[in-house]
Amino acid sequence: MGLFGESYYFFRRAFKKLLRNPIVLLFSLIQPIIFLLIFTQLFDGLANLPNWRQITGVTTYLAFAAPGLVLMNAFSSALQSGVTMVDDIQSGFLDKVLVTPVRRSSILLGRMMADAVRILIQSVILLSLAMLLGATLNNGIVGVLTILGIIAFFGLAWAGISHSIGLRTKNQQAVFSAGFLLTFPLMFMSTMMMPDSFMKDWIREVSKYNPISFAVNAIRSLMILSFADWQPTNWTSLEQSILVIGGLAALSLSSAALAFKKVVE
Amino acid sequence: MPALHVENLVKVYPDGTKAVNDISFSVEDGEFFGFLGPNGAGKSTTIKIVTTLLKKTSGKAIVAGHDLDREPQSIRRVIGVQAQETGVDEDLTGRENLELMGQLYGVTGDRLEERVNGLLKLVGLEAEASKRAGYYSGGMKKRLDLASALVHTPQILFLDEPTTGLDPQSRAAIWNYLKDLNKKEKVTIFLTTQYMEEADRLCDRIAIVDQGKIVSSGTPNQLKTEIGADVITITMPEAELVEHPERREEAMKILEVVPRITSVSVFENGISVYVRNGGSVVPEVVRALDNAKINVGSISLSSPSLDDVFLKHTGHRIRPEELKKPSRGMMFMRRRRR
Repeated sequence: MGLFGESYYFFRRAFKKLLRNPIVLLFSLIQPIIFLLIFTQLFDGLANLPNWRQITGVTTYLAFAAPGLVLMNAFSSALQSGVTMVDDIQSGFLDKVLVTPVRRSSILLGRMMADAVRILIQSVILLSLAMLLGATLNNGIVGVLTILGIIAFFGLAWAGISHSIGLRTKNQQAVFSAGFLLTFPLMFMSTMMMPDSFMKDWIREVSKYNPISFAVNAIRSLMILSFADWQPTNWTSLEQSILVIGGLAALSLSSAALAFKKVVE
Repeated sequence: MPALHVENLVKVYPDGTKAVNDISFSVEDGEFFGFLGPNGAGKSTTIKIVTTLLKKTSGKAIVAGHDLDREPQSIRRVIGVQAQETGVDEDLTGRENLELMGQLYGVTGDRLEERVNGLLKLVGLEAEASKRAGYYSGGMKKRLDLASALVHTPQILFLDEPTTGLDPQSRAAIWNYLKDLNKKEKVTIFLTTQYMEEADRLCDRIAIVDQGKIVSSGTPNQLKTEIGADVITITMPEAELVEHPERREEAMKILEVVPRITSVSVFENGISVYVRNGGSVVPEVVRALDNAKINVGSISLSSPSLDDVFLKHTGHRIRPEELKKPSRGMMFMRRRRR
């Protein structure tokens, strides 16, 4: 049995567990849905600012915020995945698996595959909802696939972070608190909710280096502007965001793999 | 060749705890071997080491002919392990749990199907096979866990306290499966337990462990006869023990010179006396204590149990802990706080 065959067993298990706990699925969708339905209406008036259209390229706040809100599902999904890993350690399931001859790496790989697929499915749901509510999606299937790819890798980067915390602390609360404390401020110090020209100088500085901004900016360009209208700056921003997110994913997943290796040995 | 051979095994945890302190033993092929000892004796640590879950500090172990250091993967293929925590996945059904474990061992297709059905029957979970394990009782989970340790037909089965916390019926049911496995299917079994009765009933041979060491080993009968034919247990009034703790040692000295008494040892509430032909010695014991004006709470006479064996070698009794042990997460937190 190859590595992928073995990983598939863990992938399938993770998916079965998810489908049997619909509340968990709902939990990671509910926040972005509330934001899409309510938050965007709360800030509706922003679009009346004289230079809103110039700054954002769209006519409603919803169209501006949707790209970031679609990304939002990646955060809670990733945190939940780290918590599940802690559950497996505490319940003794991991030990049960570790006495079998299965490859150690397949345990983590199968889980990551499940996280990525889950985030993809959720993102499709959220994208559809955003479209229904009036968000734009101007680049056809290529645009959608690129967006989904960015979100999936972003989700893996975050799953790596939550696993790193979970495997080192072996504590569910720690994963949730640390994940939340890291994620929430970073979300507000990014271009997820506001254009950077609206921000205080120091937040703009943070936002410039914030991986969330990189992801959101790329998704936003892909949704709002058709490729024909892309400027060189848009292409650079896409390249940069792929590099940053890919790099972050590589880093956090390596950290998770190291922590996993320590637990397993 | 023995199924399991352990030599000078030592495990020191990072916090300095010496959980296993130079343990050596061998389990013969087809034998039912038990580690009997209280919590914290080093039983689980030993099992975790020989089943490749935990790194040893030093020593040597050969499992089913494979060296632990060099061939852990070969060991994993031929052993089955039931840990103390029932690691069943509560979101999966009983059948799915068994199938998953089988697949991880490389058992697939019809062979898996057949094996899973057989095991469900063996542990009496056929009717509940398609229910999620989360709905199972503690005893059912243990049975499922046992079945999943057998899914790849292992040569050696390691069981870490398989019946701790179970009701008497579930315990008896598991004892029956284990006996059958060992006698009919010739599976070598290494079991740890805090229960005298369990070790006595199931094991061909027992090692008594306490504080990381094997204090005595042999067949249950050997161990029991080793300490003499009978045990007279004398308890002393609590108030007396608190006010005059030296009285217990005094009593011990008096009894040691009584004829036919093979040995005397003290425990928390009194004294144990090991004698041949105990019934006729009781009056002499009473007289001797009375002459010395030592207050006696109660006197009882019994055939020796493994508990007495344990007491004799360690100076304390095994107190089985029925409460669920803290999960590893909590243990981690405790360690941090220290």
